[in-house]
Amino acid sequence: MTKSDSKVVKIITKKDLISFVDSLIKDNTHEIVGVKAKGERFVFGPLENARELRLDYDFTILPPKKYFLPQYENLMGFNLKKPFDVKENEEKESRIIIGVHPYDIIALDQTDKLYLDSQKDDFYKKRRENTIIIGVDVQKVSERSFAASMKTNITESGFDLMLTNLEGKYAITIGSEKGKQLLAKYAKTAAATELDIKKIKAVRKHIASQYTKKVKIDKKEWPSVLVANYDHPIWDKKSDECLECSSCTMVCPTCFCYDVKEEVSLNLKDGKRVRTWDGCLLQDFTKIGSGEVFRGDIKERYRHRFFRKGNYLPERYGFIACVGCGRCGTACLPDIADPCDVINELSHFERSDDTSRFFIKEKTEIKDKGIIHIPRVATLKRKEKLTSMEMLFEIELDDNKPLNHKPGQFVEVSIFGIGEAPISVSSAPSKSPSFEIVVRKVGNVTLKLFEMSVGDKLGIRGPFGNGFNVKNLEKKHILFTSGGLGIAPMRSLINHVLDKDNRKKFKDITILYGSKCPDDILFMDEIEEWKKVDDVQCELTVDQCAEGECWTGCTGLITTLFPRIRLDKYDSKNTIAVVIGPPVMYKFVIQCLLTLGIPEENIFVSLERRMKCGVGKCGHCQINGVYVCKEGPVFNYSQIKNLPEAFE
Amino acid sequence: MKPRVAFFDFSSCEGCQLQIANLEEEILDLIEIVDVVSFREVMKEHSDEYDIAIIEGSIMRPMDEKRLRKIRRNAKILVALGACATIGGINKIRNQWSAEEVKKEVYGDADIKDNEFFDAFQTKALNEVVPVDYYIHGCPINRDEFKQVITALALGKKPEIPNYPVCVECKKNENVCLFELGKFCLGPITRAGCNAICPTNGSPCDGCRGILKKPQIECVMDILEKYDLTYEEMKSRCTLYNTSSFNPKDGMTFVRRKSNE
Repeated sequence: MTKSDSKVVKIITKKDLISFVDSLIKDNTHEIVGVKAKGERFVFGPLENARELRLDYDFTILPPKKYFLPQYENLMGFNLKKPFDVKENEEKESRIIIGVHPYDIIALDQTDKLYLDSQKDDFYKKRRENTIIIGVDVQKVSERSFAASMKTNITESGFDLMLTNLEGKYAITIGSEKGKQLLAKYAKTAAATELDIKKIKAVRKHIASQYTKKVKIDKKEWPSVLVANYDHPIWDKKSDECLECSSCTMVCPTCFCYDVKEEVSLNLKDGKRVRTWDGCLLQDFTKIGSGEVFRGDIKERYRHRFFRKGNYLPERYGFIACVGCGRCGTACLPDIADPCDVINELSHFERSDDTSRFFIKEKTEIKDKGIIHIPRVATLKRKEKLTSMEMLFEIELDDNKPLNHKPGQFVEVSIFGIGEAPISVSSAPSKSPSFEIVVRKVGNVTLKLFEMSVGDKLGIRGPFGNGFNVKNLEKKHILFTSGGLGIAPMRSLINHVLDKDNRKKFKDITILYGSKCPDDILFMDEIEEWKKVDDVQCELTVDQCAEGECWTGCTGLITTLFPRIRLDKYDSKNTIAVVIGPPVMYKFVIQCLLTLGIPEENIFVSLERRMKCGVGKCGHCQINGVYVCKEGPVFNYSQIKNLPEAFE
Repeated sequence: MKPRVAFFDFSSCEGCQLQIANLEEEILDLIEIVDVVSFREVMKEHSDEYDIAIIEGSIMRPMDEKRLRKIRRNAKILVALGACATIGGINKIRNQWSAEEVKKEVYGDADIKDNEFFDAFQTKALNEVVPVDYYIHGCPINRDEFKQVITALALGKKPEIPNYPVCVECKKNENVCLFELGKFCLGPITRAGCNAICPTNGSPCDGCRGILKKPQIECVMDILEKYDLTYEEMKSRCTLYNTSSFNPKDGMTFVRRKSNE
């Protein structure tokens, strides 16, 4: 038995290869998919007979990613009349994909790292397990491909079988037990000779020499070149021509960001939750419920794609998320999407050793929270109107288990037929199965929540994110600063700290809270209670007060409250500051805190972004290399102050 | 209570309403969730008591404006249906000329003075006269999108209209790019939502759902050159639905590149 790098290799004649594929098709136990011609191009598609198979292709329009993360994927079906008759999507069919090039196999391997981490994607996993991959060594190099530079033109793993064209016959390298059995059952093969093994190596070497497009620097250097040139004029220059069509991300084998949408039948009886490809070049990629858009400028979005490929994913997972297939370069009309061109242009410029500059030091691993995207059933227990725009909801989980959240964490609230929205938990941690959220009427989900009645069912996923580590606050003075709706998540922490069982663990407390106008102040009754607790100073301000409105407190922005802090009692080095408010507030408040002498590492903030999946997959909440749903929303200021996208 | 819906039309071929009439059996589902109180194409009855007005067609004359304003006053929600209503569409081709020139060309010396039916001005989309709440784009509209919008409104939800170009859907359909086949396609700059129906069937996008982004003329010229396409072909494609977005009077004003000087 002859082996190549410890793998068994067989030989099959071209005629027998055709009969092998035909018998797979005839057998009908798997869906057989292979590379077929589509006009002048090629695509992966179901094979009707082996003669359709084109192993001599250069590249396919879309990568085989579509079989693992489909363009449109039904995550679950539900019935609107009985909203919690959730049916998880069950796809049982197994599939054999024939003709996958090595770079696409490596791309799938990268996808595994993201989708099969500590919070695995169950839908992806099932498809991965049910698929057999028959690869093929590249026979015709696409003129846009630079796979040889990326060392992705050959692969030793990730396939069940790998075909290599040896002029008149094919060598089949066996990569797995499944592959071995498939071959034994359906194909007529012979053992490979030493000469055949030499031929495989020669063929691969010859193909590697056919790549004319080359990256000038080693892929290990991508992160250092990119990080050093974050502010390089290239981003402005190239993005200036961008049509913002996101074709580059659609055809990319290592772009796996997605959106989740709700579809309802015309009779309003049935619905489904659908997952579909999204692209970070698109304008609304980061848009949140209140309409705010992060990375609003095309230059920032254009740059983000390259950083995600060459710095953000490499730093987190250890691979350069570009396999050099050349699809983006082919698909981009103004031809500005090709990473090879961009890196080559930057290669003459500086390098930076600090490739973790756009990350935070603490890494948080997500604990598995059950089947991804499937919510727990909960019941609306109580509604309390706080202002004309804000309402408090008490929600009880039907499985009677506590939410087990930390202050600062969020949940995904789902209403079937409407959608899902990330909302901070506003109540202190407790052992009861119920918790509270405060909601402002801004988007579809929140509007519908306002209309719901006590007893109605909704869905909850989470808690997600990194909450406050309450231990860090013990034996410290605490200065809470919140603006607007920021008081909602802050309340969870304040009530925990002021709880009579906990109060002694913390020193003096100062609470600063700013609202637009007196009518907008949330939790006025609770604030009065807070004021009564020993050593608590509570100061409120409103931006403006209409004539005739009853308001005896301070008027002005939140920063006007700082001179009121009783400084005599303060030991700023021993003070922890917590800031939660609208994006515009942070810059000014942090300046005040630093002036007070509070060290940067004692300042904690909570940032808002579009958290769609909550588990570090969908890509929407990224701030440079950081996932807000994973490492945030609570951050230590000293760790994110250098992230250019944090406080835009 | 079911929302009451009324359909109206102005200058148009009424093909978008026909798309709705063509829902066939599904129309029974439609009338389960909304009360259709006026729909000239399929029923005799009419009522001015409605919550949602769905309007097809462009505004051409003062009498149209007056009628549209009345509908706007009656309706809680106003939806523009189809390209004529959403962007002016084909009716705007004639905006390349003045209203007087157009009337002269069409009616010659016929006496149309003091006849309000012929008192045409330059074509307007609905939102040039009254505020429009939601848009169902296309020529004709995509029935699936209509269903999504109407179910969203029945559920009390804001319908979501794609804010990204046709290329996104075209790529998902794994089409060979029409530029590679030597055709000028408006997909890269046109609003999606049609599931790229034209490119998928080999026809380049004509931009019937409206232009999302005006690209830089320099960039467009580079692309034309790369794919051996002519400026004339691009111009004719752009004027079919998007005359006002492109204003060919001054020879196609795309955005000029930012000058560094």
